[in-house]
Amino acid sequence: MTLVLFFATQSDVFLTSRNLNNLLIQSTVTGIIALGLVFVLLVGEIDLSVAAISGVASVLMAMLVVDSELPIPLAIAVGVAAGVAIGAVSGRWITLLGVPSFVVTLGVGLVLNGVQLIILPNTGRYNLLNTGVEKLASTNVSGFTAWLLVMAGIALFALARATSTRARFRAGLPASMAGGVVVPVAVVAALLIATLMFLENLRGLPMPVILFISLLGVMSYISSETRFGLYLYAIGNNAEAARRAGIKVERIKIMAFAIAGGMAAFGGILSASRILGVSVSSGGGVGGGALLLESIAAAVIGGVSLFGGRGHVVGALFGALIIATVSNGLNLMGVANEARLIVTGLLLVIAVSIDRGIERIAAPGR
Amino acid sequence: MGADLQGRRRRANLQGQHVGFNKKSFCRRLFQQGAGFSIIDRMSLPILSLKGIYKSFGGVKALVDVSLDLVPGEVVALVGDNGAGKSTLVKIMAGVLRPDQGKYFFEGSESVVHGPAEASAMGVQTVYQDLALCNNLDAVQNLFLGREVTGPWWNGFRISRAECEKRAKGVLKRMRLDSISLNRHVGAMSGGQRQNIAIARSILWEPKVVLLDEPTAALSHAAAEQVGILVRELAGHGMAVLVISHDIHNFVLENSDRIEVLRLGRNQASFSSSEATGEQVVNSMVGGQKSRNLSG
Ligand SMILES: Nc1ncnc2c1ncn2[C@@H]1O[C@H](COP(=O)(O)OP(=O)(O)OP(=O)(O)O)[C@@H](O)[C@H]1O
Ligand SMILES: [Mg+2]
Repeated sequence: MTLVLFFATQSDVFLTSRNLNNLLIQSTVTGIIALGLVFVLLVGEIDLSVAAISGVASVLMAMLVVDSELPIPLAIAVGVAAGVAIGAVSGRWITLLGVPSFVVTLGVGLVLNGVQLIILPNTGRYNLLNTGVEKLASTNVSGFTAWLLVMAGIALFALARATSTRARFRAGLPASMAGGVVVPVAVVAALLIATLMFLENLRGLPMPVILFISLLGVMSYISSETRFGLYLYAIGNNAEAARRAGIKVERIKIMAFAIAGGMAAFGGILSASRILGVSVSSGGGVGGGALLLESIAAAVIGGVSLFGGRGHVVGALFGALIIATVSNGLNLMGVANEARLIVTGLLLVIAVSIDRGIERIAAPGR
Repeated sequence: MGADLQGRRRRANLQGQHVGFNKKSFCRRLFQQGAGFSIIDRMSLPILSLKGIYKSFGGVKALVDVSLDLVPGEVVALVGDNGAGKSTLVKIMAGVLRPDQGKYFFEGSESVVHGPAEASAMGVQTVYQDLALCNNLDAVQNLFLGREVTGPWWNGFRISRAECEKRAKGVLKRMRLDSISLNRHVGAMSGGQRQNIAIARSILWEPKVVLLDEPTAALSHAAAEQVGILVRELAGHGMAVLVISHDIHNFVLENSDRIEVLRLGRNQASFSSSEATGEQVVNSMVGGQKSRNLSG
């Protein structure tokens, strides 16, 4: 909030709806990658290859579309599947040998950077203009369809709240219609409708935003309502206790890495569609660069702990928005690229330090 | 000779106890609906039996040729000095550790327990010395961890929080632990509350065998007494109970039928609780004069 006010005073372009629209789209790629990363962070691991996965998957998708002329949905599915597979393999390796995930995924990331260079053609890029792939990012849903989508989202959320509140009433547990259903649904509905009305003034709901919010909803449900989600938190806090409770710790960890891989791949594909092509620098370039840093920063700034077991997937949204706000705002202020890197880097360091501080308060003496 | 005789005495013991603690029983209704008394008819047969167990950690021989029988309806106290191998033995019974050598019999047949989930499915529940709780989860989530109630029927992935909470409430109430908040993270709870949650977790599913590794270590005198009563009550309803404690005088002699002593990873002695004195038990724990050995 303060950030928005600060940049609003510094640049009169910042608050224009066109720029805010831009900002929203900018944050989706980072946000989607961070969303998957949250699952890995929750179990107390880290995946430093997510940016590289996003690069390789997008190049793979582009190759299938341009060279093999595969139908686009199929090419996208293959790209995402490749991401899932890479994540699962890293996860298997890490759990099988008990090696630190940051080293393994750092290595995997470099391997993938190499692979990306190999599968790129000699020109060093695939152009995706007029292939149809660009529609993924450039489509805008407006009018009746947009309202229908938003209403469907609100209805699903309301349904989930209502069923669990009804179950509490039936079980004779303390529950309230207002606290359990009305207030949360009203808040979510207000946020979604406000976003919609704001974006309607432009060209409608951008597809990347729809995709990001849908994925956020699904992942939020998985992490807070299902056994798998609960086990992520249990493992992140006390893996040995989880194991003794009969939880298949390794399998859950592998699944977390697979989800992160799949989401990273999808984020990369979305990014390729937005910038109309893939190249050497897809996926943040060698080592993941700013994309990797910003994805991790988004999750951590969003309150997801690097120590495992604490945080919520919605954090990926807030983190990504904050990062996009900072980089967009600094950009408009005419600050040079190097300064932006420095600010983002510092932001990450500060977020991690706050994370550590919370951890100390929560579990003194560790 | 021993088995038959011991069995009869135990039965007598048990009836005596029942009259005794019906008056102060705080969890009388604990297993009202479940477990019948039919098990007691066959109770002289061990339900869980370890024979010739060896376990080493690197160079440390934690267990050497250890044997132990747990019989339905009987409370066995496992005692021994620090590092004697008690927790290691419990972990082997719970499926957390695999013995290097030795046999594990459950309900008369030899079994290999591949993990904690298998032991728990057989009906062996454990309260670990370190409690094995997840501090970032609340009491309900910890009670049901790994065995969540799911539903509705068309959604087998979703945890049915209401159902879990209802059942958790029931068991905590019957243990007189209603004051424990169901929605607070257990990391924010006191040592005694955490220990009680771990105990509640072990009896939530009406197991056949309950293993408690120092369940009273963090408890007040009154709370420890309640655990003692609970332990008797579980055995009274036909469960086999093993409890580790260092409190020989107040807890072990009061609440167990049989005392098994481990020393330096070996079976040192076995006492009938009604006949042994605290001095005898402590002596054999620290390796004083050879005590009367009933199991031999
Ligand atoms: N995971 C492990 N790795 C290495 N050594 C171990 C491990 N667990 C136990 N030991 C060793 O095995 C021996 C027996 O340990 P155990 O925990 O079973 O003792 P204990 O009887 O429960 O003691 P206490 O009364 O202190 O709880 C000790 O010497 C201990 O150092
Ligand atoms: Mg111990």
